[in-house]
Amino acid sequence: MPNAIEFTQSIVNGISVGLIYGLVGIGFCVIYNASGIVNFAQGVFVMLGGMVCQALLTSLGIPLILAVVLTIPLVALSGLLMEVAIVRPMMNRGATLFAIILATLAAQIMVERITLLTLGDRPRTYEEFTSGGPLKLGDVAIGYQLFWILGCGALLVLALWLFFTRTRSGRALRACSQNREAAQLLGIPVARMMLLAFGLSAALGAIAGILVTPTQYTAYNVGTPFGVNGFIAAIIGGFGRAGGALAGGLLLGVLQALAIVVLGAGFKNVAALSVLLLVLLLFPNGIFAGFGPNAKAH
Amino acid sequence: MIPWRTLLPIAAAIVLTGIGLLSGSYAVTVLGFAFIYTIFCTGLNFFMGYTGQASFGQSAFAAIGGYGSAILCADYGWGPLPALIVTMVISGIAALLVGYPTLRLRGHYLAMATFALGLIVYEISIEWTSLTQGYMGYSGVPPLSLLGYELGTVEQQLVALLVLALFGIFISNRLRQSRFGRALAAIAGSEAAARALGIDIARCKLIAFVIAALYASAAGSLFAHFVGFISPEVFGVTMVVQSFAMLYLGGIGTTWGPMIGAIIVSILPEALRGLQEMQDIAYTAILIFILIFAPRGLAGLSSLFARGKSRKLEEA
Repeated sequence: MPNAIEFTQSIVNGISVGLIYGLVGIGFCVIYNASGIVNFAQGVFVMLGGMVCQALLTSLGIPLILAVVLTIPLVALSGLLMEVAIVRPMMNRGATLFAIILATLAAQIMVERITLLTLGDRPRTYEEFTSGGPLKLGDVAIGYQLFWILGCGALLVLALWLFFTRTRSGRALRACSQNREAAQLLGIPVARMMLLAFGLSAALGAIAGILVTPTQYTAYNVGTPFGVNGFIAAIIGGFGRAGGALAGGLLLGVLQALAIVVLGAGFKNVAALSVLLLVLLLFPNGIFAGFGPNAKAH
Repeated sequence: MIPWRTLLPIAAAIVLTGIGLLSGSYAVTVLGFAFIYTIFCTGLNFFMGYTGQASFGQSAFAAIGGYGSAILCADYGWGPLPALIVTMVISGIAALLVGYPTLRLRGHYLAMATFALGLIVYEISIEWTSLTQGYMGYSGVPPLSLLGYELGTVEQQLVALLVLALFGIFISNRLRQSRFGRALAAIAGSEAAARALGIDIARCKLIAFVIAALYASAAGSLFAHFVGFISPEVFGVTMVVQSFAMLYLGGIGTTWGPMIGAIIVSILPEALRGLQEMQDIAYTAILIFILIFAPRGLAGLSSLFARGKSRKLEEA
């Protein structure tokens, strides 16, 4: 029987990975709100964030901060490319919802295979941002990277909140999410807003990938679990609400960490996917629905 | 009198099989995969093309069929045919239980829920090592046999697969033209209108889902017998995307689309030598290209030449 220390330790681990899920979940929401599309390739940005950063660190030998500064725009560029090359032409031709979802899923496999061919199938990782650690609180070990994830996560959420409430572009994006036609009539360039949403979402995924890689490893195929878990986080939070996605991510991360203690590491994804099915079937508006002032049904 | 539109594809498939048989065992293997995928895609087509729903998790049922047949035949000494039928029943029951709650979902939620089903079964096939032998895979599956006569060579199996694929298409086509099939077409057109006509939408969708699962399961079983070896990777996300590439390339919602797509997508990487390791990139590129520029696929192109006839056929 697992003891209290193991439980506390797993909750600490769960919080750090849960925050990452939350960031990915916000990425889903940003694109969904701007375009009405769920981008199944969201996990690819997380994978690219970790892989590109690692490749820059090892092959060029540049300092971490520079690698991060280069990685984020590079991955954001891949998001823009996805919008311009795949999503926009399909929307312009009136493709069905399932066809667009399928195209993003195909894009995910394509990016994964290209990464596999160019960078190989070896799992990679890099040092934590701050060496030393872990911090010991009694018998519970807390890696320094957790504080980086917590700090950057909080900063990002604050920055996003400021962006969506204080800037013209952010407000325009919110207008698009409420009613795209009305937004168009008001003179908001809806197409450009979609491009912005894909870039922003990809950048968020890249940051999540850069932050999480030191705590585990990254490889060409880590995208799908991150994408699916991020989606679950978004669903738990009631799709489309950024704050909900973050809370959903934390909840999912902790649940998954507890599942690892109870069921063993192998079944963590099965546990998460089962949570997804339960939430979809029992609380299709998210488990926080009804608490918010404008809970809307999908 | 069977119309030429039916005879032509059958004749083409038989001729292709003949060419395959004459050009060596490698071509036979490639065609065998194509016919197995034809069965899988025909089921998917039934649910997606005719009913207008989406399942991104059909690989789950193929995995049940594949592993079920492998375990029953290799460990328990069952014959391939009883194992095929029993695993189809298991898959059907699984689809019934899973589909009942899941199919109430629409749009993105349906897509993600079915996708999750596929991933759950994939993860289980990796982790439940005492049953599935995990990444190691399951080897030693005997080849197909009929009435005690074992189809020992790949050539004999190819002919059997051709017959089964044509039989699968025949059944799917008959079902489509039945009262039930017309109800599905009504649902695909407009759920509200279908409900107004008195169609039990939830029940029809569920039956269509179960039928698709039966096809997927049979394809999984046949794969296990044809190759003699299965591993979790066979039934992964790549299988989902590959089957969609076939379905959309051949033409979703058409009778022969699944077979046309399965054959082309199977042969294409072989035709373009040196593309081997780029195979998945090629599938996905084709799929995205088709989705953008020709969402009705190659079978849809024929309507350009025979407008009147094909319209009638589609409405039937």
